[in-house]
Amino acid sequence: FLGRGDAFRRKVSVELNPGLAPPLSLPPGVGLVHLRGLGDNDTLHFVLCNAGAPALLLVHSNSTRSAVTVDWPEFINSSSAGSLRVEPESSVTYSSALVFTRLWEYDDVNNTADPQKAAESSFYPPYELQNFVWSELNTTLNQSEHTVVLCGGEKTQSFSNGSLCLQVSVFESQGRDEAWPSLLHNANSSQLRVWINGVTPRGNNSRFILEFQSVGDAGFQSRVDMRSSIDDEYTPSIFKVSEWVSSPVNSSSVWGFSQWKPVAYRKARPVFEDATACRHSELVFVNGTPPSAVIQAYFTHNTRIYGLNISFGLAEDPVFYDATKYISWTVLMGLGDPPSDSFSPLIIIIITVGLVTPLVFIILGGVFVCVRKRTSQSTAYEPIN
Amino acid sequence: MADREEHQGLLDGDRDEDEGDKAPSVHLNPICDPNHLLHRILVLIFMCFLGFGSYFCYDNPAALQSQVIQDMNLNTASFMQLYAWYSWPNVVLCFLGGFLLDRVFGIRLGTVIFSLFVLVGQIIFAAGALANHFWLMNVGRFVFGIGGESLAVAQNTYAVNWFKGKELNLVFGLQLSMARLGSTVNMNVIGWVYGRIQMSMGSAGPTTLGITLMIAASTCLFSLICALVLGFLDKRAERILNKEQGKTGEVIKLTDVKDFSVSLWLIFIICVAYYVAIFPFIGLGQVFFIEKFGFTPVQARAINSVVYIISAPASPLLGFLVDKTGRNVMWVMLAVITTLLSHMMLAFTFWNPWIAMSLLGVSYSLLACALWPMVAFVVPEHQLGTAYGFMQSIQNLGLAVMSIAAGSILDVRGYLFLEVFFIACLCMALLAVVLLYLFDYYKEGGLNLSAATRSKRAKPE
Repeated sequence: FLGRGDAFRRKVSVELNPGLAPPLSLPPGVGLVHLRGLGDNDTLHFVLCNAGAPALLLVHSNSTRSAVTVDWPEFINSSSAGSLRVEPESSVTYSSALVFTRLWEYDDVNNTADPQKAAESSFYPPYELQNFVWSELNTTLNQSEHTVVLCGGEKTQSFSNGSLCLQVSVFESQGRDEAWPSLLHNANSSQLRVWINGVTPRGNNSRFILEFQSVGDAGFQSRVDMRSSIDDEYTPSIFKVSEWVSSPVNSSSVWGFSQWKPVAYRKARPVFEDATACRHSELVFVNGTPPSAVIQAYFTHNTRIYGLNISFGLAEDPVFYDATKYISWTVLMGLGDPPSDSFSPLIIIIITVGLVTPLVFIILGGVFVCVRKRTSQSTAYEPIN
Repeated sequence: MADREEHQGLLDGDRDEDEGDKAPSVHLNPICDPNHLLHRILVLIFMCFLGFGSYFCYDNPAALQSQVIQDMNLNTASFMQLYAWYSWPNVVLCFLGGFLLDRVFGIRLGTVIFSLFVLVGQIIFAAGALANHFWLMNVGRFVFGIGGESLAVAQNTYAVNWFKGKELNLVFGLQLSMARLGSTVNMNVIGWVYGRIQMSMGSAGPTTLGITLMIAASTCLFSLICALVLGFLDKRAERILNKEQGKTGEVIKLTDVKDFSVSLWLIFIICVAYYVAIFPFIGLGQVFFIEKFGFTPVQARAINSVVYIISAPASPLLGFLVDKTGRNVMWVMLAVITTLLSHMMLAFTFWNPWIAMSLLGVSYSLLACALWPMVAFVVPEHQLGTAYGFMQSIQNLGLAVMSIAAGSILDVRGYLFLEVFFIACLCMALLAVVLLYLFDYYKEGGLNLSAATRSKRAKPE
């Protein structure tokens, strides 16, 4: 059923707070966005919700008539398990979620850009994303582009001029964003761009770390692979791809993935030199459900939860967050095998034309020389010594 | 072999010199006797170190690529301007260098002046970094470029003057090796120097870069001293041997250009298309090896210099091989194809880049040995100066333009695309070689004859 994501299209529709009617309402700034990708014989549901820590839930159903139903009174009151369902439940084949739990900040005095090497005392208290105040979702919802932006921050001095933003995009077909890292996406994936803009750092050498948790069925296990790629034409000078894949226990087939390139950008409109590195920590098991309403409401059965940190910055690099007060990072989350880059048509054309032209001349020339040698042999005369 | 030549040198050394038949009867210590091999070796040492400074400093930017970009806050395209500004003056000076040496300054004064240009250029370059003005660094590279290439012409003239009819080929080979040594030492040492200065200063920045480049300028000072000593020794030899001051013998007539044959234009195309895929690549290579192959900066600088390291011993050897076998077009074709292969390896595989870079080093040396002498086969002797000047000029023009182009391609499309661009250039060079072979075959020219046939033809029956 996983199919090849690049071959087909989905019809995408976006809906804010489906089925929510007055007098019920969510607190200000809180919302639930349902992004529905309708395929020929299946449906891919993405649910973004910022009640609690912001989370993106992916549910795949092999029915074209499946729907997300929210028991709103229940969801608003206690987010008890089962208050958000994808129905018919028997059609659900795979579900997983990504939760953004914390934003860490540490003072990288030794300039290693590696939080594992940083002293415990150099870490500041983390920003808990569940406590963030978010801007209204309905203003940033783009129905035609199928994107939604979530911006928010803590009610402290640090965020007086800044915010952490999440942009979620869902796609109808294969393609890539123009903005770096220009990850290749398909109809089976959604893209999350995270940027931290204008936040006042608490130290002179501040670097940031994003903390994630992934939630999946207990029957699945995760691992993070780093793949090398010879192709850096879409993300200049980046030759690696990180893939956080989830596969059934005792099987190697990949059912779901998060994919990113180990690069972050220090400007909103980056040029080559604005690229910096990002590194991921080891995967760890997490006990206890993450503080996200949509996770608590959807997952009724046993889950397996992993945690992962993404830290930004390059060792020995004298440029810290403070220099541009901006960092952005992009990750793709989707169903099936992660997409992999291939050469652009331009490269294939250049190489083909470049190699074939001299080859043609070599062959034609070879024939010409042979013919001429033959004919000249028959008519030539030997010089008399 | 050197021995035999030495005997010959002793036997007819005096008659070799056109004017030098009044050898002094004064008995001199061999090392001070301009006629003696020992003295010539002494001169050779100074001659070799004459170009050391300029070759050492030419690739300073490549060896400090990431530092320059970071400290001066550049993008890759503007970084490559440093190479472009070196090449611009030489688009013109390749025609003028010989003239200036012969008619205006004379070889001795000319050499000193060009060495001064190199030194002053490098100092301005370093001062630009110290003052944190990138434009000043470009000015420095421009001045440096004025001196650098002409200094190479002066070096060759000295070599011809002192060693003609004696160990000339060997001397050319040694000079080339010395030049490559300068580049190699630079690639492997200057990053370390930067690191030490950074450590003692506590931080990196334009000042660190400036001090590093100032230290590099000391090699140019050293070369200037060599130029002065050489001038003195040459003057002294002139006095003792009554010989004339050396001349490049280059007569440049731009009107000759209209007489250039198709073969010569094809050789020009090969020259430009080939070198464009070598020098800008080395200029940008360091970060490529770090990003794609996970090398440390030290390893990256080492592998980036391997082309020069190999070319130092390989140039004389391959030159000998080409001389003995002839068939220059085939050698050029082989060199272009192997270069193409090594670029494809770098672009499309994760194979250990030492393989590709070593192959590149060998093929680069082979091309130099086989391509440049071909000009002499297709141009009458009186136009040779113009032809070589023109060839160097468009090579510099190509390098200047393509350096910037390569930097911009990298900034926007990344290394794979840059490599594909280089591969396209090499494909063009290959096409030109094939056409050259066919044209030469059709015209029954002598470019691809074996050495044996060539010497047979040369002998009038």
